[in-house]
Amino acid sequence: MGSIFERLWRLGPAAFVLKAIVAAAVADGLLLGFILLRRLYRKRFFAKRDARVFELRQVWERLISGEIPYETWRQNPFDRRIVETIALDALEAAGAEESARLLKFLRKSGLIEKRIFEARTHTGWRRMRALVALGQTRAPEGIYALAQGLRDRDLEIRLAALRGLGRTASPKAAEEILVWVGEKGLCVPALPLQSALIQCCVERPQILIPYVQHAKGALREVLGRVLGEVATPALSVDLLQFVGDGLDELRAAAARAMSHSERGLAFDALNELVRDPVWFVRLRAIISLGQLCDPRAIPDLLRGLTDSNRLVRFRAAEALVGLDMPMVPIFQEVVATQDRYGLQAYLTALENAALRERLEEELQSGAASGDSSKEYLRNILLTGMLRAEEPQMTESGAAKTALLS
Amino acid sequence: MIRLLDTLNHALFWYYLASNLSYLVMLIVALKTTAAHQRRLQSHRLDWFKASPLAPPITMIVPAHNEERSIRVAVRNLLALDYPQLEIIVINDGSEDRTLDEMQEEFRLRRVRAVYISEAECAPVRGLYRSEVDARLLIIDKESGGSKADAVNAGLNAATSPYICVVDADSVLERDALLRIMVPIMADPKRVVAVGGIIRVLNGSEIEGGHLKRVRLPRKSIEVIQVIEYLRAFLIGREAWGQGNMLMIISGAFGVFRADIVRAVGGYRSRAIGEDFDLVARMHRHLLEKRVDYHIDFVPDPMCWTEVPSDLRSLARQRARWQKGLLDVLLPNLDMLFRPRYGRIGFLALPHLWLFELFAPIIEITGIATIVLAACLGVLSRQFFLQFLLFGYAFATVISIGAVLQEEVTYKRYNDWHDVARLVSYCFLEHFPYRQMHMIWRLQGLWEYLRGDLSWKPLKRKGLESAQT
Repeated sequence: MGSIFERLWRLGPAAFVLKAIVAAAVADGLLLGFILLRRLYRKRFFAKRDARVFELRQVWERLISGEIPYETWRQNPFDRRIVETIALDALEAAGAEESARLLKFLRKSGLIEKRIFEARTHTGWRRMRALVALGQTRAPEGIYALAQGLRDRDLEIRLAALRGLGRTASPKAAEEILVWVGEKGLCVPALPLQSALIQCCVERPQILIPYVQHAKGALREVLGRVLGEVATPALSVDLLQFVGDGLDELRAAAARAMSHSERGLAFDALNELVRDPVWFVRLRAIISLGQLCDPRAIPDLLRGLTDSNRLVRFRAAEALVGLDMPMVPIFQEVVATQDRYGLQAYLTALENAALRERLEEELQSGAASGDSSKEYLRNILLTGMLRAEEPQMTESGAAKTALLS
Repeated sequence: MIRLLDTLNHALFWYYLASNLSYLVMLIVALKTTAAHQRRLQSHRLDWFKASPLAPPITMIVPAHNEERSIRVAVRNLLALDYPQLEIIVINDGSEDRTLDEMQEEFRLRRVRAVYISEAECAPVRGLYRSEVDARLLIIDKESGGSKADAVNAGLNAATSPYICVVDADSVLERDALLRIMVPIMADPKRVVAVGGIIRVLNGSEIEGGHLKRVRLPRKSIEVIQVIEYLRAFLIGREAWGQGNMLMIISGAFGVFRADIVRAVGGYRSRAIGEDFDLVARMHRHLLEKRVDYHIDFVPDPMCWTEVPSDLRSLARQRARWQKGLLDVLLPNLDMLFRPRYGRIGFLALPHLWLFELFAPIIEITGIATIVLAACLGVLSRQFFLQFLLFGYAFATVISIGAVLQEEVTYKRYNDWHDVARLVSYCFLEHFPYRQMHMIWRLQGLWEYLRGDLSWKPLKRKGLESAQT
């Protein structure tokens, strides 16, 4: 008796179709079998894990104090993983005292050393798992092992190491990252690199300056953005060198950083940056001016209000509305620009901040000079129109801009 | 004649084989991509993004037409989303019911002026309102433009953020959905211009306070079959196309776009039937013509749960409309086919849509007709027919079970054994007679389009009541 394949072959031209049917049916069976077995396995695994977690939780205090010898659970990988997970999860939400206690436990039990060893010697997903756990501990002794992970060939492992270093929030980790990007360039996506550096450089932002000066291309932009986030007033003078930089991103970063700088210095630099040809540099400059909350910024903010970019206009309006001073003079200046887009942005910011009534009251109370001027400003505030003919344009839909009331 | 029928039958067989093989390739690519994505998530913490000062502001645009039943819950859900800088614009698109009143009661609206620049074409706006409960919420009350695109354009005109996210008012977003969908943009803000998220079927699930409490499979067969279709379309199709930067559709129910590029292409086309597909096609064209290095991405884990039709009539209308929308976009972009300037979009994505999506119902009906004719003439090879049927059935089932497997090994939202058993059983049952009905609905759509019937027929909606609120 011939095999099933011989029989199929004898069928001639239909054999291919039959094989395809058999293959598809087998694939159906395998997929179904896989789903079924996986469900069964997971059900058993989680039941077992749940029971063991419960047992360990009951003796948790004795376990981390060392009253229960570490050897009793360390030898069993299943138990070790549970203990480590519980400890790391607790570490996430712990205060300073509890963190120190948990870290001491992780050190004494050898869990950190074990992860450092795994991060150095293992490869692939095992190394990645070790790096993730090491990052979660935030232990300074893990920094070198994490830094070695940055040199792995696999992008995901490099990212795990980078995120781990970020979690330590240590200047030492920042130095390791900066040395690595100095050597290798930008070989990871920008966002995780920025996040890690922001976390690590908060304490000592000045370590970034030489790297920003010497970096090139996209890396320089990334480092510039980080510098913009972490800059402190102490760095004001260092930051001035980037105000006239050829790289848009770096000028934007300098603009962003100026909000943290000494005011006199900041106004000079920002005054230059609000005239920048690149819109996002102007935007950053306007936002920084707004954060300074200083009446000296009004001329530049009014300039921002007439900007060609809507985001710049809107931020300038928000900054003007946010100034803690009488509103009527500012409103008069806004009207004097005779810019409908700017006026709309200002009125919108006023509405959003629920300050329109305050401006109306100030107008009523006679802060504006002369009755006609007061009436003129009130009309503009109520109609949102600079000229009388504009309502018709809006209603007919002919106007490009419609201010709806 | 007999020879012609024989040739047609064989052509049909090879067509099915090619179609199923393309889906098999997509399944393999999707499984590989998902595995990599899952590994990536191990070292990834969303709370970092949440706290990141680099997260760009987003404007959510929510068109609402006669959504009185679900609008309160939907907007509350959106306001509760985890994202640092959010603006929500709800567009009351000429609703004839109490949609605006419901929002007025819930969010204490006050009439305001707001920046509104008519860059994208839309019907006249009656007024703008801001909520006193939450200043992030802006309502645009406008006259009905007869299409969702028109309403979205109104939102686009008022949006003040560099990114817009379009969401349907009858959808429920998971709390971290925005953070997740923004991950590719934050990783590469210069290149990534749009990201699509996954749409899942809400019917049958439990909702509490606007949030999804428990995911359950719907009761009706027609809804369960749609669950499988959505899993297949998103977890296999879009995942694979997105991997190759050939994603042609970002669902209108949930997607993020760079606002300047949407404005550069003129916003949504008001008269487009499939406005979501149309926008992405125009974005591809615009960026390829400008020779911009860009990426349109798909992320499988930011989940948006939406109501699907629960009666045959509504489903038929929806599918006919989708088919009309497909033709409505493919015809104007015919010139992109096989032109080197449009790269893989012109050589792979669009030909696939023409051949395996647009022509599919025509080829299927031709196939059935030739088989019937061959049977009448007594020349139908029973063996061939049976084999053809079995092969098509078994192969298509592999793809469907593959989609269920994807969901099972990754997101595992259907935890109940009973639900999974039902889901798998419908992988076997969807082929008869649903598939044939689906073919007829799609043919109807094509016929309506060719007749010039481009009207938007309303679907019967239960609102968030379709879930167990």
